[in-house]
Amino acid sequence: MINLDSVTKKFGAHTAVDNVSYTIKKGASFALLGPNGAGKTTIVRMLLDFIKPSSGNITINGLPVSDPASRRHIGYVAEQHRIPPYLSGLEYLSRHASLIGLSGEEAGNEVDRVLGMVFMKGQERKKSAAYSRGMKQRMGLGAALLGKPELLILDEPVTGLDPIGIRDVRKIIEALRDKKMTVVLNSHLLSEVEKICDTAAIMYKGKILIKDNINAIVKDHETLEDVFFRYIENAK
Amino acid sequence: MLDQMRHKSFYVLLGLSILFILMIRGCYDGEYMVNGRMVDNTAVAWHVSKIVFHLITAGMFLMVSMLSMKIFSRDHEDGSVVLFLSRSVVRWQYVLGRVTGTWALCLVFMFILHLTIFLTVWVKTGTLISGYLTASFVCSISLFFVIACICFLSLFMPGFISALFTMGMLFVGFISDGGYQIFNSDIVRAAVPSSINLEPALWRVLYPKVFMVQAYADTIISKGELHKMGPFHPLLNLFFFIFLIMVLMVNAFNRKEI
Repeated sequence: MINLDSVTKKFGAHTAVDNVSYTIKKGASFALLGPNGAGKTTIVRMLLDFIKPSSGNITINGLPVSDPASRRHIGYVAEQHRIPPYLSGLEYLSRHASLIGLSGEEAGNEVDRVLGMVFMKGQERKKSAAYSRGMKQRMGLGAALLGKPELLILDEPVTGLDPIGIRDVRKIIEALRDKKMTVVLNSHLLSEVEKICDTAAIMYKGKILIKDNINAIVKDHETLEDVFFRYIENAK
Repeated sequence: MLDQMRHKSFYVLLGLSILFILMIRGCYDGEYMVNGRMVDNTAVAWHVSKIVFHLITAGMFLMVSMLSMKIFSRDHEDGSVVLFLSRSVVRWQYVLGRVTGTWALCLVFMFILHLTIFLTVWVKTGTLISGYLTASFVCSISLFFVIACICFLSLFMPGFISALFTMGMLFVGFISDGGYQIFNSDIVRAAVPSSINLEPALWRVLYPKVFMVQAYADTIISKGELHKMGPFHPLLNLFFFIFLIMVLMVNAFNRKEI
């Protein structure tokens, strides 16, 4: 599904991602873990062609990410998802629906479906300026789910949310995982990742320290948090 | 186009324009006397309409500056650019969509103002000013140039500075082309015959001909002669610059990190 081959990204003299290679298979729930500045968001931005890699290749479904067709079946939720303040939630979702080629009754039904999925029914006619951060994240997730994408890329989707908001988002992602949707989750919240994902990679200073099945990484009487700190301490 | 209509600045300018048109309307009602003789009302209406035509276009230059200078920065801040580019929208489609959308809005806006004047003259004097609406479309090419120029520059500098820079560029063209028009006018030619032989410098010939296009629009209304500078028609000059700027803008935006 996703293939990164010797990908490096430099910002001037700083190397944000250093020769990273890995493959994410279809249907996997993959977590990118790492402290701030590890290069997780840079990888997500390269997956969406928001920035170009300095070297290496990235493909999604065999298509290079520079090809807009590679994003045809992707849903994306940004960290601190922003919605134009002059749009209502309904208008925002309708715009996304039109961008993926849905129109008329089909678009209306699809928007209605995702509004239910992200617990935003009844709130969709309010301007997004009136939404709380959690509501914006859920609406962003709703937009990402339009058209039943094959791949969902979530960049720190629960950052800044209260415990209820985190639980809501987690429930949504768990439901998607159960439907065998490929999920790439970029997160700091290791306890949430442990509940949601089956595979994880730990990054530090642009390099991947380990990538494996979470059950294989986490030994007996350990948590993912223990493993994470062990790898980061060893890498320092 | 609809996004631009959601911003307050659009409605402030719309309100000011309506106020301006309502004030101008009174000019067509009065009777004019020069040196004790009544002046033909139709002639006055024609001259007033021509002046208002240029005032509207000048006002539109300010309006497009205000609308264009924040297109990309605002889209970046409010997440619109991520909305489009995280889908299978190609970057050139996004750039072209934003520029042409703003232009289409301004074209309609300007056309409505010009049409209002056109209809007012018709109702008040029974005269149709031929070429008035065609000239409006010609002026809209200049608006496209201004929008493209400001949007392109705003990729490298703050929007307000890019708008000021573009206005400065228009002002230089106004002085250069306006001076050329004056030196080639019938009055100056008759008074100073040697002015006919003055050849403009190459940079003046190649400079974006926004003012010349305005002068060309004027000739469409007045059926006068356009004293064009150099071998190229000003419209051709402006089309070339619009194409060049659009190519550079798409190229620069393709390299931009989101």
